[in-house]
Amino acid sequence: MSWSSTKTIEPRGDANVASWLGWIIPGAGHLYVGAPILAAVAFFSVFGLLLLGIRLSNGMVFEFLDADLRGPIAGALTPEVGNLAGLVYYVKAYGLWPNFPRPWPEFIHLGSWLMASSGMLNAVFVVHAAAIARLPKDTAVRGFAPASHVLAGWLVPGLGHVLQGRRARGVAVFVMLVGLLVLGTILAEGANLNRERHFYYWSGQFLAGAPAMLLEAWHGHALVTGDIEYKDAGLVFGCLAGLLNILCLLDVQAFGLRRLLETSDAEPAQRIETSGVVA
Amino acid sequence: MNDIAVHLLLFCVISVAIVVCGAFFSEADDRKALRLVPRRLAWFVGGCGILVAVILIIEHTFARVS
Repeated sequence: MSWSSTKTIEPRGDANVASWLGWIIPGAGHLYVGAPILAAVAFFSVFGLLLLGIRLSNGMVFEFLDADLRGPIAGALTPEVGNLAGLVYYVKAYGLWPNFPRPWPEFIHLGSWLMASSGMLNAVFVVHAAAIARLPKDTAVRGFAPASHVLAGWLVPGLGHVLQGRRARGVAVFVMLVGLLVLGTILAEGANLNRERHFYYWSGQFLAGAPAMLLEAWHGHALVTGDIEYKDAGLVFGCLAGLLNILCLLDVQAFGLRRLLETSDAEPAQRIETSGVVA
Repeated sequence: MNDIAVHLLLFCVISVAIVVCGAFFSEADDRKALRLVPRRLAWFVGGCGILVAVILIIEHTFARVS
């Protein structure tokens, strides 16, 4: 045992608390770690996307669900759950569905994408708040990494890795995940690209980002006019491409966080106790 | 979807994607991760094979109607 005059490095806050707060109310995590401007940016951008989506879809997106699947926790497996306050607001305000079918508004699919994107955007802000929470109190927050890399990796699978300088891994991820998505679309003959038809599979597929969005825009929600032999396989492939992208985004987040803590001279992960005794 | 060869081919494609992403997630070094892929793939395919066998035995024992 030796006595030393150890310097206390106290982080801005608890990363878990920042994450939970940011998930429940967009921006609350940033407010907790002392970044009020970013908190406001997070709140207004996340809710802005959600409200624009609701406006374009007349609040009818969850009416895509079959009647027997509708209910107060129907949104638990949707991307919108990334913005919990927004999801609760949506279900409270629009969750009482009529018992008769109504025509969809013209831009309901765009509205659906915007609503889902609000959940994903909030997840990115949560990553940022958790990263700030781990930094020492007196360290200035520079840049948006690793959250910006997570956002890039969602938009284009593999791009987050490339931006971190891991090109080979990024290219491998892009080829595999976009390949899975395209193969799934071919197998399902585009039937997978429609939230109205496959509400929960679409939620998984959404996590593959812009390639899924572009394929959906290109396909145009065409009618299914006959039996599709490999439809089920196509749905699984498309959904799995999105779910595997989450695994890749966790890799991007962990790598970026490690780099951020190393460059900021912060002690990783937790607070150092102030006893001054080093064993 | 009755063609067993197509089923197996699709299973192989999706298995490679799952295993490579899993290897990337658990190993920071690219070369090390790729070296791990064949062994992980064997475990994954073997595990799925055992699961299929268990399901078929259960189906044959408890759910067969003919």
